[in-house]
Amino acid sequence: MHSATTHTTPRHLVVLNVLAALLLAIIAVLPMVWLAGVAVSDATVAVNRLPTPAQMTTTNFSGAWQAGGLLRPFINSLIVTCIHALLNVFLAAAAAFPLARTRFRGRDTVFVIILATLMIPEQVILVPLFRTVVKMNLYDTLAGVVIPFAVSGFGIYLCRQAMRSIPREMDEAAAIDGASSWQVFRHVMLPLTAPTLATLGVFSVIASWSNLLWPLVVLQSSSNYTLPVALDQLLGMFSANIRFAYAGSVLAVIPMIAIYLLMQRWLERGLLAGAVKG
Amino acid sequence: MPSASTGHSLCSRRALTPWGFLAPALAVLVLFSIAPTLAVIYYSFTSYTAFAGPDWVGLENYHRLIAGSRFWFCLQNSFLYLLVTPIIMALSLTAAVVVHSTARGGKLLRLLLFLPVVTPAIVASMSFRVLFNETDGVINTALSLLGLPQVRWLTQYPWTLISAMIVTAWKGFGYYMMVFLAGLIAVPRELEEAATIDGAGRYRTFWHVVLPSLRPMLALVATISSIGALKVFDELYITVQGAPITHQTAVPLIYRTLSQDGEYGTAAAQGVLLFVIILAFTLIQLRVQRVRDA
Repeated sequence: MHSATTHTTPRHLVVLNVLAALLLAIIAVLPMVWLAGVAVSDATVAVNRLPTPAQMTTTNFSGAWQAGGLLRPFINSLIVTCIHALLNVFLAAAAAFPLARTRFRGRDTVFVIILATLMIPEQVILVPLFRTVVKMNLYDTLAGVVIPFAVSGFGIYLCRQAMRSIPREMDEAAAIDGASSWQVFRHVMLPLTAPTLATLGVFSVIASWSNLLWPLVVLQSSSNYTLPVALDQLLGMFSANIRFAYAGSVLAVIPMIAIYLLMQRWLERGLLAGAVKG
Repeated sequence: MPSASTGHSLCSRRALTPWGFLAPALAVLVLFSIAPTLAVIYYSFTSYTAFAGPDWVGLENYHRLIAGSRFWFCLQNSFLYLLVTPIIMALSLTAAVVVHSTARGGKLLRLLLFLPVVTPAIVASMSFRVLFNETDGVINTALSLLGLPQVRWLTQYPWTLISAMIVTAWKGFGYYMMVFLAGLIAVPRELEEAATIDGAGRYRTFWHVVLPSLRPMLALVATISSIGALKVFDELYITVQGAPITHQTAVPLIYRTLSQDGEYGTAAAQGVLLFVIILAFTLIQLRVQRVRDA
């Protein structure tokens, strides 16, 4: 009875909520509207204006693929992104497992060092990083884009937090039954932390798909470019190609929206699990 | 631990296992993050350019940086950029509250507000460059329709910083919204109801019951977003491309020193100073939060 009355919200608050929701949605979407506007404009529209229906065209999209040469970078980005996400999730989970569960000499030191790597901006270490990659014969290769950032301190931290929230009885029971560390990791830890791992996977995908600076430094031949590098190059060229770059960037957002929609349920569970722990 | 003392084969194998799990990740971090950091610290004490070096010069790079004005100016801009943190926090907390109390269409709203998070920084910056265009961009057009003066978003200080901050806030608030949303969902319903039954209004309930229970998330978001603000690069690199470097922040300065000036030693010293500042800032922030929680 009581709860029924307390749940009804005053009307002015409902209106305020709807208005705020609309405003936030407009803020979130407005820049994308202009992006799409430039992407579908024909050459008669100034780049900063929105086209009228009569001025719309789809030629920029085919132009982006062919004249803009974005097809190859698109594929390169797909390869880099998938491998990076898989590596990051697997390596981070593996490293987090002993940090969350075992007591061994040097554990806390290792963990502090891992956290310290979070504070290093990649731009600061660009020169030595570049020299290392050249020495390893990874310059101008997709492997050179992926391997240096194959695992992040953030990922290890996230996985450790998730694993610590799993009741110890779960893996102790498995260990008593004679399971090896690997089996405990594979059959207890990985499935129970799946929402966090999925979240980490999605964020690796987003980060890798967006990464501009490092690929810009390490890739030289245009056949190896990732999508952001190719877009940056297109922007730097003739203004005729600007609309191709905008069409290309619309195409660059679509896979990310798709992955968000596919993973939405996991993502929200993962974010909730991670954040509640603080 | 018994494993060390007994030396039993099973136990010593046990002791090796943690390192087996850690090895691949540690190898990557040591090779590509820690070793380069140590190398940068070494370079910062050397004369090292695209053509010559590294040759040991002691503190010369640091002396030159501290005596010069460019580095301090960009560093000051980095600290001004921290103003984006309260903006992001206010925006994401509002968004979380709105999403939390939106029953119908909540899922669509969450998708729309998360859209900026999944948008690559270069794409976000490209769209904002169009909006911020100084001659006929939509924002300046709207300002002049309202009879307000035009703003030189992409070339004039401090608007260059503000433009990039708007992009940062736009790209970031959806993520932090999810963090706050998690916190809001975790607030026990009974607590809110008890406060309401006690006669507390909606606003007072939010202020005295909901907000305090969000404290861990507020701390988390403040820390993460301010480290991000001090490290900002992408938004400035694309959005205000071409603006003088003194209109930008520390990390773009470091990149400029590396890529255009080819002065690796100087850039290394700039990087080390920035790292020390971020570290000190983070430790102070954590300490303040701990004191407040105690």
